[in-house]
Amino acid sequence: MKKSISLYEEKHSFLNGLSPETKLLYVVVAIAIPVMIGGRIPFIAFMAISIGLLIDSKVLYKAKTIIEVSGFILITVVIIQTFFRGGNYTELFRLGPLVARKEGFEYSMGILLNVLNIIFCFCVFVLTTKPSDMMQEMVKHGASPRLGYVFVSLFQIIPQMTEHTSTITDAQRSRGMETEGSLGTRIKAFLPLISPVIMSSFMDTKERSIALEVRGFSSKAKKTFLEDFIPSKYDSKIRMILVIIFISSVVFVILKATGVLPVWLR
Amino acid sequence: MAERRTGSPWTTKMSTASLVLIPAAIGINYVGKLFASMLKLPLWLDSIGTCLSACLAGPLVGALSGFLTNLIYGLTMDPISTVYGLTQAGIGIVVGLMAWYGRVNKAPGILLTGLLAGLTAICISTPLNMIFWGGSTGNVWGDAVFAAMGSQGFLASAVDELIVDLPDKIVVLFITAGIYKVLPRSLVSLYQAKDESLD
Repeated sequence: MKKSISLYEEKHSFLNGLSPETKLLYVVVAIAIPVMIGGRIPFIAFMAISIGLLIDSKVLYKAKTIIEVSGFILITVVIIQTFFRGGNYTELFRLGPLVARKEGFEYSMGILLNVLNIIFCFCVFVLTTKPSDMMQEMVKHGASPRLGYVFVSLFQIIPQMTEHTSTITDAQRSRGMETEGSLGTRIKAFLPLISPVIMSSFMDTKERSIALEVRGFSSKAKKTFLEDFIPSKYDSKIRMILVIIFISSVVFVILKATGVLPVWLR
Repeated sequence: MAERRTGSPWTTKMSTASLVLIPAAIGINYVGKLFASMLKLPLWLDSIGTCLSACLAGPLVGALSGFLTNLIYGLTMDPISTVYGLTQAGIGIVVGLMAWYGRVNKAPGILLTGLLAGLTAICISTPLNMIFWGGSTGNVWGDAVFAAMGSQGFLASAVDELIVDLPDKIVVLFITAGIYKVLPRSLVSLYQAKDESLD
C-alpha cells in the first residue's frame, strides 16, 4: 500500500473534476477579495462558499485536522491581543489583574477571520487535488520535469523517513539513552536520534541518483505523463467567472476609493 | 569543513545528485522538527536539512530545500506555513553563500553564520507574522515578551521573532557543522566535482 502524506482522496466530486489551475485561482480570489474590500462580510461569505464546496466534495471532515494545527496559535493571538494590546482601550470586562479590551478583541477577530478564510479556501484546493496532477500543471507551465519529480516524490519519501523515527528512538533508548527528564538530558538525546536518520537518508541519495539516471532522468527528450488529467466541461466557465468576479472587485475598490460610488453601494 | 569553492554559486544547472539531495534535506527538516517536539525542546530545529544541503551543494539547492519544505507543510498540515517558505529559502541562501566562500569552518564562522541566518529569519518572518498573526509567533516565550511590549508594532514583533529564532538558528548551524564533519568524503565530493561522477 502506497503511503502518502497527501490529504487528497478521490471522491469523483465536482471539485475533483476542476483543474488545479482553476482551484488555485479560486484560492487567490478568495484570499484577495475580502482583503481588498474589507469589513467582516466578504471573509464570512468566502468561508461559507469554501465550506459549501468542501461539503459537496465530502471532504469537510479533513479540514478539521488542519484547523486544529492553527487553532492553538489563533487562541493565543485572541488572548494576547484582547488582554495585552497597548494604546487607548475600551474595557470589556476584568479577569483579576487583566483587562479585556474591545479594540484588541476586534483586532484579533479580524485576524481569526482572515486565517480561517485562508485555511478553508486552501482546503478546497488541497483536499481535492492529486499531487501528480499538481505536478503536471507545474510542468505544463514551464517547470522542469525533474523538479516536478522531486515534488511528487516528497509525498512518499517523507512518510518513509518519519516512520523510522520510532524504530530509531527505541533502538537508542535500549542503548541507555534518556529521552525524558531535565532539559539538558533531553538536549543530549537529540543528536543520537537525528544522526542515524541523516546518515541513512544521505546513503539513499547516492543510490537514488543512480536509479534515476538509469531510467533516463536527465534525458533531454520530451517527457509525457502516464495519466493525463482531463478537466471537466465546467472548468473553463468557472475560471472565467472567477476572473470576472476578481476584476469587478478591483473596479469596486477603485470606485469606492475615488468616491465615485452612489451612496447605496458604499 | 567546507573548503572555499571556485566559480559562481549561482549556476542553475543542477546535477541529478543535487536534485536528489533535496528530498533528503526536506525529510531531515521534518524529522528534526518531529524529534524537537517529541523531546519537548524549546527550539524548532526544523532547518537542519536546509543548512546541510546548502553547505553540500550551494545556496540554490539550500533555498529550494527550504522553500519546498514549507510548501509541503502547507499542502499537508498548515496552509499558512507556505509563505514562511520564503524565510527558509532565505536561510538556505545565506548559509549556502557562507559555506561556498569557506566561512563555515571554525567556531567563530559557524557562530557568525548562525547569527546571519537568524537575522535573515527575523527580517523575512516578522512582516509575515504581522500580516497573518498580528505579530505573534505561536511560541510561548516570544509571545510573552510580545504581550509585555504591548502586542503591536514592528519592534515588539521583531523581538518576539528574535527570541524564538536566533538561538534556534545558532544551534542548527552548530549541529549542521558537526554532522558535516562526519559525512563520508565520497558523498561530499559528489557535490564538489565539476563533472558529475557516480563511481
